Formats: sequence, structure tokens, C-alpha cells
Amino acid sequence: MNALQRIAVILWYEWRRALAKKWVIVLIVLAILFEALPFLILSQNMAGILTDVRETMWVAGVLSSQSLFIQIMAIQIAGSSMSEEYEQGTADILLSKPITRVEYLVGKFLGGFLLLSLVEAVTTITGLVLSFVVFGAQRNIQFVPLIFVTVVYATLVFYSLTFMFSEVFRRSNLAMFAGFGVFLVSYFVGSYMFFLQGQFYKDISQLLPTWSAMSLPMSLVIDLNLLPSGWAAFAGGGLGFTAPGDVRLAATIIVVYTVIFVALTYLRFVRSDVTKKAA
Amino acid sequence: MVSSLTKYYGEFKALDSVSFTVDKGWVYGYLGPNGAGKTTTIRTMLGLLKPDQGEVQIASVNPSKDPVNALQIVGYAPELPILQAFFTGEQLLDLMGKMFGLSMQERVPKIKKLLELVGLQDWGDKKIGKYSKGMIQRLSVALALIGDPMVLIMDEPTIGMDPEATAHFRNLFANLSKEGKTVFISSHLLDEVQRICTHVGMINKGRIVFSGPISQVLEAFTEKWIVEAELEKVTEEVVSALKSLDCVEDVKVDGNKLMIPLKEKKDSRGEISTEIFNHKGVLLSLNLHKATLEDAYLRAMKGGI
Repeated sequence: MNALQRIAVILWYEWRRALAKKWVIVLIVLAILFEALPFLILSQNMAGILTDVRETMWVAGVLSSQSLFIQIMAIQIAGSSMSEEYEQGTADILLSKPITRVEYLVGKFLGGFLLLSLVEAVTTITGLVLSFVVFGAQRNIQFVPLIFVTVVYATLVFYSLTFMFSEVFRRSNLAMFAGFGVFLVSYFVGSYMFFLQGQFYKDISQLLPTWSAMSLPMSLVIDLNLLPSGWAAFAGGGLGFTAPGDVRLAATIIVVYTVIFVALTYLRFVRSDVTKKAA
Repeated sequence: MVSSLTKYYGEFKALDSVSFTVDKGWVYGYLGPNGAGKTTTIRTMLGLLKPDQGEVQIASVNPSKDPVNALQIVGYAPELPILQAFFTGEQLLDLMGKMFGLSMQERVPKIKKLLELVGLQDWGDKKIGKYSKGMIQRLSVALALIGDPMVLIMDEPTIGMDPEATAHFRNLFANLSKEGKTVFISSHLLDEVQRICTHVGMINKGRIVFSGPISQVLEAFTEKWIVEAELEKVTEEVVSALKSLDCVEDVKVDGNKLMIPLKEKKDSRGEISTEIFNHKGVLLSLNLHKATLEDAYLRAMKGGI
């Protein structure tokens, strides 16, 4: 059995573990509802202002779920990934088997991330189908895979951050709380800086973790002319305001954050004891 | 082989230069009071804990440095195991079989056989969340055996089991040893350890007090064999006669019973009964109390002889 096969076993295990939990199923159902409701509301009450974007409403649908929902989902999935094994005392059973800690870590990380990708795939397909049903034929659907991959990629910042918290704190609730905390603080500080004038504030806001995570998909949508910038910012900005920007910069910042968080997780995990069930 | 293993939990020294060797085919009982360091030793042996000093080698491989090769031949059943409740017994065995690299063709018959071996054949398709403590313990033993390990490490394997199951597993471990497997058992059940183990290790306050053959520990840590004689009537003549025997160290009278510590660990009931008969004593019963592991253990924990 080689390393890839061992990683695949842990990855499969991670899926089974996550899907055994009711809240994950609830979140997937919510993802579909979250996608469907805005379409229904817009089609009923705001048909007049949608003239320019009727044929690309699928983009707005994908961006709106990405902006908040998928980030929250990333924090939820990553927050319990490592910590639950310590909390429930099941880490012993897995790590006393012929597997390296790196393989275990990679299997866990990829397992949760692929599950998150599946949820995003469900919301993307739902958004696509609903936009056809509610608003008629859609244009530029050849960009669906690219937008999907971009959205999934953009979740890496908060996924890897909360994954790190999950290993460092070894408590699910604490990891999720910390993940949400960073998200909210970064989100609202970024929104505040959006209104401040000056390059300095702009530069600072772009270094905040929420900027790259939320700005990348909307910036790409604007670059590809899939939606007018105002619509893209509205759909992709969530409750606050995130300025679109350079796609490459956002992509790079995501890589940097992810590498840092994964490296810290690795260092903590390989150097520390596997603790028994948390008291 | 465990060599100079030292482990701290903060300021607390849980293991203090622990060293012992377990050879192939041994059934090694690891004994010690609560908090002595038994589970810490086992978890360090498996690479779950990082030692501050010393090292462990399983078949010449250090599990901390090369867990894949070291743990490929190890089956481990933890103390009071907590298993993934959302799996069925079969599913968890299947997952662990995959981790040992078993193919589907190997796993299916093996899972069936193991479930039968541990008496869970009717529970394999039920969620583990519905299992009792004893059933989880049985499944844990099956999980330890899925990879056909050469080394079995069991931390209190029969806790929570009924006496029938305890006897069943005692025989199972003895049989595994006969197959050439090395069995390492941490247990509080001294009677059980004395029955099945060839060697014992004793740990107290993080230090190894003794490690070696079970006969040696009985020799080293027990005092006397005692003959208990019950007579119809105890006379001064009988007591004096018994005291004069070479094999007898002393005679203590307790009603119509005589407690006779022997000078050597040798069955001297023949000489004693003859002497009682010769002095017109009527013997109702005569029992020899040999040294037990419990005696040796208690003595070892108090600081030895």
C-alpha cells in the first residue's frame, strides 16, 4: 500500500465522518435553499431592474452563495476536522495504524476540502438550473467550470485557517469560534476601509484574509465581463463591501495564507502528542 | 524493545528511564497501579506520544520515525476504546483492513471470521453506537487482529467483559502466543496475567520495578509458601513435632488450624501429614498456599524485598 492509497483511505473516512453528521446534511439542504430563495424573490419583485443581467443571472447566483454561505461552510467543516478526533478519542485508533502523520493530515485536509467542493458544486448547479428556469436562457455558461474552481479556490483561506485552529485548539467549538471571529473582524474592518480614501487603506484592506477570499471570484467575473461591476460587487460582497481588484494579487494572497496556515498545522501536528479524549 | 524511555507531562515525570525487552512469542504482562505509567508506555511505544528521551523499536523499527513499517505488524486495542459510533462493526473493520493494505477479497472473509472469533457475528451490521461497553471491547480486539499482526498490544483488554468473555479472550491470547505472536498485555487482573503470561514487567511511579520471566518474579518478590492444616484437635505435642521438622520455619496456631510457613518453596505436605499422624493428630484438611503474582506484585509495589 503506497502513500496515496493511505491518504485516500483517510479522505474516504473523512467523508463518511462528515456525512454521518446531521448538520452537514442540513447545511447542504440550506445551500440549495440559499441559492433558490434570492432567485425567487428577484424574479417576483425586481424583474424591472434585472434587464441587463437576466441572461447572466447564474453568475450572480454563484457569487451570492460564495460570498458568505460557502465561507461559513468552510469554517464549519474545517473546524471539526482534526479536533473531533481528539474530542471523541478516536485519533488513537487511526494513528496507531500504519500511516504517517503527514498522510493523515493530507487525507483530512483534502477530505474536508473535497466535501466543501461538493457542496459548492451543488449550489452552482442549483444556481445554474434555477437561472434557466426563472430567467430563461443563460449566456457564457462555458465559464461555469472556471467560476466554480475559482470559488472553491477562494475558500482555501478560511478553510486552512480554521483547519489550523482545529489542530491547535483541539476543540471544535473553539476552532469554529476563532475562524468566525477572524472572518467577521476582517470582513467588517475591510468594509470600513472600503469607504476610507487613500492608497494606504486600500493596501491594508487587501491584505486582510476576507479581501482575497471574497474579491477573487467577483474580480474574475468583472474581468471576464460576465456581470457589470456594480452587480458583481453587490452579489459577491455579502453583507458588507469588498472592493474588486487584481485577480493575480488575490490568487497570490490566497496561496500565501494557505501555505502559512497549512505549514503551522503541520508543525503543530507532527511535533506534538496525540492527546486522548478531551476532558 | 523499549530503551531508557522518559516522558514528561509538563513538570510531571510520567516515565523515568523505562527499559525492557519483549521477545518473539512471549506473552508479556505489564503491571502497575493506576497512574504508574502503563498507558503512557504503550502510547509512546505506538508513536502516539513523543518521548523526551529514549526510544522504542518494534522489530528493529522505530514507530515514531517509520510508523508505516513499524505499525504494519502491530495490532493495538486501547484501554476503554472509543470507536467511531457512526460506523457499523463491519464498516470499521473494513476501514482498518484497508489501512493495513488488505484487498477486498482478503477483508470480507477476514471480517466475518473475526466477528465470530470475538462473538459479535450477529452485531456486525449494527451501528457501534448501539454496542455495550463489553461489545466495544470485543470489537476493539477484533480491530487489533485485522492486520494479522505479529505483535499485539492490549491495554486492559478484558475491562467491561463478563467472566465468560474474559475466559474466552484469555484462551484467545494464549493461542495467539502459541502461533508465535508476541502479546503485550497491560492489566490489573493479576490472576489472569499469572495464568497466561510467560513474562511480566512491573512499573511503579514511572519506573520499572521488575521485568523478566514470571517464575523469576514469583521467586524474587514472594516470601513463603504456607501449609494450612485443619485438625480435629490441636495438641502441644503436634505443634512441637512440626516445629522440629527441617522444612518448617514456624507453626502458628489459630483455633484448630495450623499455619505453617515453609523454609523453602517446596511442597512439604507429605512430611507434615506424616508427622501429624505419628503424633496422633486427626487431620481434617491440608492445603498448600503457593506464592501468587498478587503477593509478588504487592510486595514489589511496596519496594521489593
